[in-house]
Amino acid sequence: MRRTGVRWFLISAAIALNSLPLLRQPHRSPQFLLPAELPSQSLPAQPEPYFTQELINPDSARRMSHVASICELPDGRLAAVWYAGSEEGAPDVAICFATQQRGQTNWAAPQAILTPQRTSRELHRAVRKVGNPVVFSDARAGKLWLLYVTITVGGWSGSSLNLTTSADGGLTWAPSRRLTLSPFFNISELVRNRPLPLSGGGWVVPIYHECIGKFPELLWLGGTEDGTSATKSRITGGRSGFQSALAALSTNTALALLRDCSPRKRISVARTGDVGQTWSSPQALDLPNPDSGLSAVRLSDGRVLLAFNDTDTGRENLRLAASEDEGRTWRRLATLEDEPGAEFSYPYLLQARDGKIHLVYTWKRKAIKHVAFNAAWLNARQGQPSG
Amino acid sequence: MIHTTFILALGPLCPWLMLLLGLQALAGLCRLKTRGWLRLLLLAVVAAGLLLLPIQSVSIAGWVRGLSAEFSIPLTGLLVVAVLETEFRRELFSNADWIAAWAFGALGGLGLYPLALGWGSFDPYEWGWRFSPLFVASALVTSLLLWKQSRFGLLLLLATTAYQLRLLESANYWDYLLDPVYCVTSLLALAVQLAKVARPAASANA
Repeated sequence: MRRTGVRWFLISAAIALNSLPLLRQPHRSPQFLLPAELPSQSLPAQPEPYFTQELINPDSARRMSHVASICELPDGRLAAVWYAGSEEGAPDVAICFATQQRGQTNWAAPQAILTPQRTSRELHRAVRKVGNPVVFSDARAGKLWLLYVTITVGGWSGSSLNLTTSADGGLTWAPSRRLTLSPFFNISELVRNRPLPLSGGGWVVPIYHECIGKFPELLWLGGTEDGTSATKSRITGGRSGFQSALAALSTNTALALLRDCSPRKRISVARTGDVGQTWSSPQALDLPNPDSGLSAVRLSDGRVLLAFNDTDTGRENLRLAASEDEGRTWRRLATLEDEPGAEFSYPYLLQARDGKIHLVYTWKRKAIKHVAFNAAWLNARQGQPSG
Repeated sequence: MIHTTFILALGPLCPWLMLLLGLQALAGLCRLKTRGWLRLLLLAVVAAGLLLLPIQSVSIAGWVRGLSAEFSIPLTGLLVVAVLETEFRRELFSNADWIAAWAFGALGGLGLYPLALGWGSFDPYEWGWRFSPLFVASALVTSLLLWKQSRFGLLLLLATTAYQLRLLESANYWDYLLDPVYCVTSLLALAVQLAKVARPAASANA
């Protein structure tokens, strides 16, 4: 009799504990936040074409600089991060951070903000390499977020994702936190492209898996009472497209443009109509991709702008293309780089609150280049042959 | 802060138990026949000392933590049972309990890992972040095992409790129930069990 009572008590506990998550279900699904809905967003008319370009770290003592990202701070400054060291994946690689004052073209001296040693201490585990930093600014919370990968052994497929934040514009950074996103030793989760803000204060970040499969995923970051919640969903599985670039078209719809690692060598596009909950099968576009990173942004005028290596054999050029029909057809607008034997890779696009478009990318693996232009410059290119 | 410290302290528990079990096996090979709390305490201290040894200025525990993320609650519980059974030669888990544990690890792992690693567009790992069929299945399996008086059912109940208290770094329910080491061990243990069953049958037929 007593044993039966204990049994029923334990069974009731099992059912009750497994039912508790029902109480924590989100009340409302978030929506994409479009530029016009961001705070203090104003796009003054800029009739004159504007174009500037410079190296962010021209005098770097580190031989290699790679994989940059850029964001706009609440005060209008630009902040860029990238990783630099003797060579890709070397133990001396650090994540560097630099800012540019509003209206200026020179950058402050870069600071190494994260090293394997520091992250090893903060994460309480061995870390041999760091890389792929993506920085984004939350004007709503006045906070700077930084996602990056760490590796304990092996190559990029052994990466795990980590998150740190700064409340003072990048001067100091909170201790990093490891995100658990994979059941398989929590490895092979990487980040590369620009996140999209969500209503309710969260973010959706395009991440990807590259171990046995290579496929694009989404990291959903949201604020909770006990910190930041991080969950993951999949765009598609397989081994052909990954490292997606997201462009929100409306509060519910978005494009994911995919880097191609299949013999097809074409950029493909997947679409969502329910804020990233489900995605269409990726369809190949008539744009080449030599298994290299690309970046996309929906401009305030509705066009989707794409920065990519316009070849299927290397990373020797870097071009801009735009679509006026939500990514169905594309028109090449400008060639930013074209030099046989050189590498111009991993572009990262951003449209700032003043309407200017910023692009950072790896310049010959030696430095990070920043290019800024406006819609008038793009429009002027529209009538000209590219190349 | 206390919660974070607890999570950090819990991290090396599973590698420590694995090492302890290995040391027990080694002691058995060396014919150290004195068993009991004193030997267990001694081996536990040696195992902890080994985990604290530094390699390139990071402890072995730090390397294991870097390489393995976290281990599941059932694996941790099974290691505790194995360590205690080895040391005190008392059966805490019946053969049926062990088979239930291995079947859960093997079937759960085979259902999770191929899909989670990209086989198809569906990722069952997503089920671990919010109420989903995973919670229903876990409640059913745990209830059935508890009804059958399987002690492995208690470990599953413990795993669910740990998930609700977020005692691991992960916020995903799957990580509290399964890990790759548990899955591979389960597959090997089931293969051994099958071989044992098949051998007498083959002998009888001969």
